Amino acid sequence: MGMPGRTDDHQWSQRHLSHYIEGDLRPRARRRLDRHALGCADCGRGIRAMRALVYAVQGLGGPAGVRAPQTVFDRARSAGPGGPPSSSPA
Amino acid sequence: MAPEGRPVPDPVEDSPDPADTEASLLARAQAGDVGAFERLSGAYADRVFMLLLRLLGDRGEAEDVTQEVMLRAWQGITRFRGQSSYFTWLYRIAVNEANRALERRSRRPAGVVIGADELQLPAPAALDPSRQAENSELRRALGRALAELPPPLRTALVLRDVEGLSTQEAAEIAGIGQAAFKSRLHQARLRVRAAIGDEALVSAGA
Repeated sequence: MGMPGRTDDHQWSQRHLSHYIEGDLRPRARRRLDRHALGCADCGRGIRAMRALVYAVQGLGGPAGVRAPQTVFDRARSAGPGGPPSSSPA
Repeated sequence: MAPEGRPVPDPVEDSPDPADTEASLLARAQAGDVGAFERLSGAYADRVFMLLLRLLGDRGEAEDVTQEVMLRAWQGITRFRGQSSYFTWLYRIAVNEANRALERRSRRPAGVVIGADELQLPAPAALDPSRQAENSELRRALGRALAELPPPLRTALVLRDVEGLSTQEAAEIAGIGQAAFKSRLHQARLRVRAAIGDEALVSAGA
């Protein structure tokens, strides 16, 4: 099997952009993607887009301002004081 | 162990009583004290509700399933052995219950379409108007893209990227190995990226 061609490198890089920004590529694979992205505008933009995506998703936020309903423990209370001892599979 | 990335409510934060540590609340809950259980689990109730809102995309269903999660936790608390944090254990019940709810939904003749609007929060008010509009547009697009993901991929993205949990903890909550979890996470990101487009993402991140 010969060395991967430019098209192979491009498709492989596009599939591994998330691995790349996550630090999940082994050094050799990371160098392969680095080398390819240097000469490929699509993959360079893809790396920036993937980083922006993760940043934006993180910005969707946690629970600030969102409150669980007051009724959240109603069923547990209804189960009565024998809740844990008469347990069913969780 | 507290999850990484985001501050977690502390059950003892608003009480000086040293008897109200998580360990003592747990011991009392396991002995049948429902008040201690509520105090212990109440510290995480908002996060559980928010997680379910994101996974289910329907406020009414998220409220119903949050109640079910707390009932399951109460009924199963004597089997909690502390091999994970209480938070991880509770979140795992929540993910399981979300999956059950999604299965029930898929069996309905006319399946409820997940509400993309429930998968996002209002944009922060501190941004200037044009930036805020752009930000809101991206948030809506993200909400739609998340809603369209298959549930296992959505769960991975929400636990890791939205909730900010470590891979180890998120995989444990999802009930799969770390390699399988990472595979789902990467697939989810690729699909969301494809749905939104590089131009929109890059310009929003600029």
